[in-house]
Amino acid sequence: MSQWLEQIVERASHSQLNAIKQQALAALKQQRWPNRKTEAWRYTSVSPIEQLELGGQKDSQPQPSDITGLDSLDLLFIDGVLQQSLNNLVLPEGLMLQSLSQLDAQGQAVADDLFGKIKPAHHLFGLVNDLVAKQGLVVDVAPGVQIDKPLRIINLSSQGQESHLRLLVRLGDNARLCVIEQGEGQDPSLNTAFAEYSLGVRAHLEHYRLAMHTHKAIQVGGNHFRLQEKAQLNSTLVAYGSDLSRLDVDIEHAGEHAHAKFNAIYLLGSGETFDLHSCIEHAVPNGTTEENARGIVGDRAKAVFNGRIHIHRHAQKTLAELNNRNLLLSRRGQINTKPELEIYADDVKCAHGATVAEIEEKALYYLLSRGISRSQALIMLNFGFIQELINDMPNAALADWLQEQLKDKFSQMEVK
Amino acid sequence: MLKIQNLHAKVEDKTILKGLSLDIKPGEVHAIMGPNGAGKSTLGYVLSGRDGYEVTDGQVELNGQDLLEQETEERARAGLFLAFQYPVEIPGVSNMEFMKESVNAMREARGQEPLSAAEFLKKAKEACKQVHLPLDFLKRGVNEGFSGGEKKRNEIMQMILLEPTLCILDESDSGLDIDALQVVADGVNSQRSPERSFIVVTHYQRLLDYIKPDFVHILADGKIVKSGDASLALEVEKEGYAWLGEAQEAGA
Repeated sequence: MSQWLEQIVERASHSQLNAIKQQALAALKQQRWPNRKTEAWRYTSVSPIEQLELGGQKDSQPQPSDITGLDSLDLLFIDGVLQQSLNNLVLPEGLMLQSLSQLDAQGQAVADDLFGKIKPAHHLFGLVNDLVAKQGLVVDVAPGVQIDKPLRIINLSSQGQESHLRLLVRLGDNARLCVIEQGEGQDPSLNTAFAEYSLGVRAHLEHYRLAMHTHKAIQVGGNHFRLQEKAQLNSTLVAYGSDLSRLDVDIEHAGEHAHAKFNAIYLLGSGETFDLHSCIEHAVPNGTTEENARGIVGDRAKAVFNGRIHIHRHAQKTLAELNNRNLLLSRRGQINTKPELEIYADDVKCAHGATVAEIEEKALYYLLSRGISRSQALIMLNFGFIQELINDMPNAALADWLQEQLKDKFSQMEVK
Repeated sequence: MLKIQNLHAKVEDKTILKGLSLDIKPGEVHAIMGPNGAGKSTLGYVLSGRDGYEVTDGQVELNGQDLLEQETEERARAGLFLAFQYPVEIPGVSNMEFMKESVNAMREARGQEPLSAAEFLKKAKEACKQVHLPLDFLKRGVNEGFSGGEKKRNEIMQMILLEPTLCILDESDSGLDIDALQVVADGVNSQRSPERSFIVVTHYQRLLDYIKPDFVHILADGKIVKSGDASLALEVEKEGYAWLGEAQEAGA
């Protein structure tokens, strides 16, 4: 087991822990530090974590990226510590925000309802987060309340720091909310950020997770959603920049006729690694899922995608689609993609596809025939590959800003 | 303007063009008709320089320059425009971004300053209206989800914006109803000028009621087998292409 994890377990063993943390500690003690034989980490090495040297002076206070044109309610965490007082916030009626470290009865009720209840227990780093995340946010939207302004939770890791953040969000029946989780890390740093979302009957969640880290800013995290009857989830994940970024996304259809749409975009250059494990649980009939993950991998970068769809025996009339498309720009890049379908019901429609593509000759010819240079045409087509998912984002200001960020990054990557 | 001499070309070892010659002067409209498989679409691809279409013999000059020496994008910048029979869908690249890149590539080749976003938008809106496409088509992915007729009109819109000197229309009438055909024809006719020439490739005479050709050529088995004025198209309409077999046999 890595020294890092040993220390965490050691420290926790000598602390006062509540029931959940005790459980997490017990479970952690049973877990092995991942190696190549660990199925969930088969293609991704955790050695960047082992080799990470933290501590020391930080040069500067990190500043969050400013998303032009985005009108949002912002909460800033630096190294897991909330930078403002929640008491001064004027919140729309029906929206409750509490710091995980300072909960009143209502906040505690939400935490009890969600903490460790939606996130599956098998995520090693999720258990670490259970154990050590002292800070975080508890969000509760009252039934029937529609919050128009997106809630932006900015999670910055500064140089040399290790931080752990937890987010618990509950949407009451018919409630509506947009959450933007914006994670950025300085080099080097280590951050775990896990979020659990509970969507009530007919609740609607628009969700974004932006994992924008630099080089040795390592991020391990997860987004875990439970959908009650007729709930709607529209989630977009964007990842780039980190030597190791691992995200686990779990979506559980707990009520019938819920709809989950999940898009993931990754753009990886130099020696970056992004590992996305998604798991969709259709436990009840009549649920629908659309999942689209698209990535561009250049240089020595590596993408790992493991998309699992599990349709339980009684989950008849499920409609599930899973698609992973990758574009490999370099011979040294690596893509490991694996759809995993487990279907135990007989009356379902389930489609999946995973491809590693090259640019279509016809499309390239079309652009060339209009006088566009070959290099420009390749950039347009390659970028167009992920542009589709950017266009699909409901928040236009965020989409515009992300497009600029990704284009910038893409223009620095070499196109063959 | 365009001088094609004894053009031979093959695709995957199959020879399609077998000695095609054609001379087009500025301002002229030439219709090329012929049965399926005669090489009509191949001619457009060969002239525009599509990969996989190999010229084995012959010469092509556009405005005095050797066309076959040039890359696809250079030919386009030299003034050649091919309106495709089946324009490709490119989701993720917006029609607007695509056409702006393309217009500015042409302008650069002509030594003109690139258009600003606002200047381009103004032109694009005008062209869009001219071919009766709703303005939101500019924002959509290139040809993405467009109907057959909308794709054809999108081609004509590009032709209007790019201001080429030689336009090749590859079956721009196929799959169009009479209203759409009229829109396409109006777009083409609006662009006719003493400096601009057209090759109108079609299977049917119908389009030529709307775009009056100066010359009509019959292409069969990779060669022009007969040339005439607009009346030749009417003849073909009446007789079909069955006589070609006889003509070729007689000529052989």
